Amino acid sequence: MRNMPNEGTSGPGTVVGVNVALSGTLKDQNDIIIYGMVDGEVVSEKSVTVGETAQVKGPVKGALITVSGTIRGAIDASERLEITETGKVFGSIATKDLVIRSGAVLVGKVTMGADEQAVQEETKENTEEEVSIPVHTDEDNKEEVVDGNALAPDEE
Amino acid sequence: MYYYVLEAPSSRATRQLYQKLRDLLTQLSIAGEMVAASPARSAYELSEMGMEKGYSTIVAVGGDHHVNEIATAVLGRAVLGVIPVGASNLVTDIIGYTDMREAANALKQRRLSTQSTVLIEPSTIIFLDTVISTSKLAKISMILDNKVRTHAYFNQLTINRFLQMKLDSFHTTEVKKVFGIFNTGGNVIHSESHFHAKVARIITDPILPVNVSGVAIAESPMQLRLIPDSLKIITKRGTLLE
Repeated sequence: MRNMPNEGTSGPGTVVGVNVALSGTLKDQNDIIIYGMVDGEVVSEKSVTVGETAQVKGPVKGALITVSGTIRGAIDASERLEITETGKVFGSIATKDLVIRSGAVLVGKVTMGADEQAVQEETKENTEEEVSIPVHTDEDNKEEVVDGNALAPDEE
Repeated sequence: MYYYVLEAPSSRATRQLYQKLRDLLTQLSIAGEMVAASPARSAYELSEMGMEKGYSTIVAVGGDHHVNEIATAVLGRAVLGVIPVGASNLVTDIIGYTDMREAANALKQRRLSTQSTVLIEPSTIIFLDTVISTSKLAKISMILDNKVRTHAYFNQLTINRFLQMKLDSFHTTEVKKVFGIFNTGGNVIHSESHFHAKVARIITDPILPVNVSGVAIAESPMQLRLIPDSLKIITKRGTLLE
């Protein structure tokens, strides 16, 4: 069967196609790719990719998360979160490494795991192609609105 | 000794092939007993008869559906051997050989491996890829591991022996006239989804047959359950120990 590697019970990962509506807790040890609609929690031990056509309503947890579609819920990316040009996130974010491309929308609180100084040092090492946001600790617990256009440098 | 269940011969060439096989197995001293399926006796019934006679290895001689039917009969009760005749690479990839001579040699060596299967309750087994397909888009609902519900329109669902499911659909976008002259749209959009589970319930609207190699083995709605390492089968790369 094409694209269905025989890997036993752990499975090859999950792909939610563009015309699929899914509800419940979607958990996978491997990668999860979403192009359709998901209403519920999404958890992967590896990567979660939310495609341009995808709409996720619920918390998303993974090591590497890429958002090109819409997520309405909290995101917890243990390693890295990237919101692309078409990505829209309405919810709080917790991650070590954050990339927001020009055109992205983020409405929510951003928390980065390491202490502020360490993160600031790390951000200095980033390339010109990507922008890492330093710690955004919201001490007043107010919702913070980050405009991707304002944060990203000129791409060209 | 082996009990060979031959797929009902569809042509003279197949009959001649079976005769060659008989000679080859005699040369290798693993001839055993040979029976051929027919409308009167299915491969499943013949396999049952073989096991009742005390045979511990039932050899399926034929194509995909035939192999799957015998796998259903022998699961948990006997070892499955395969001599592929008109079988697809779904079979040959598992057993590790493609021609009759190699298959006969593998039977003589008797190297065993275990394979997972999927039970379609109450008693049908998915060993080789199973397909539900429809030319018109149909509704499908799947409940996976009692945790996830999915709803979609689909054209084809393929299920393998690990209970990995591939869902395909082809939508055509609406054709519109621009200025009454030019047509836009009409493009085919392919959607592909992949799921896996240990337990799944699948419901389609309308009710559709579940096929192995074009032959129906069950129909929706159905309850599926993964049975890991449940089928003992003779393969090229198996171990010598039973």
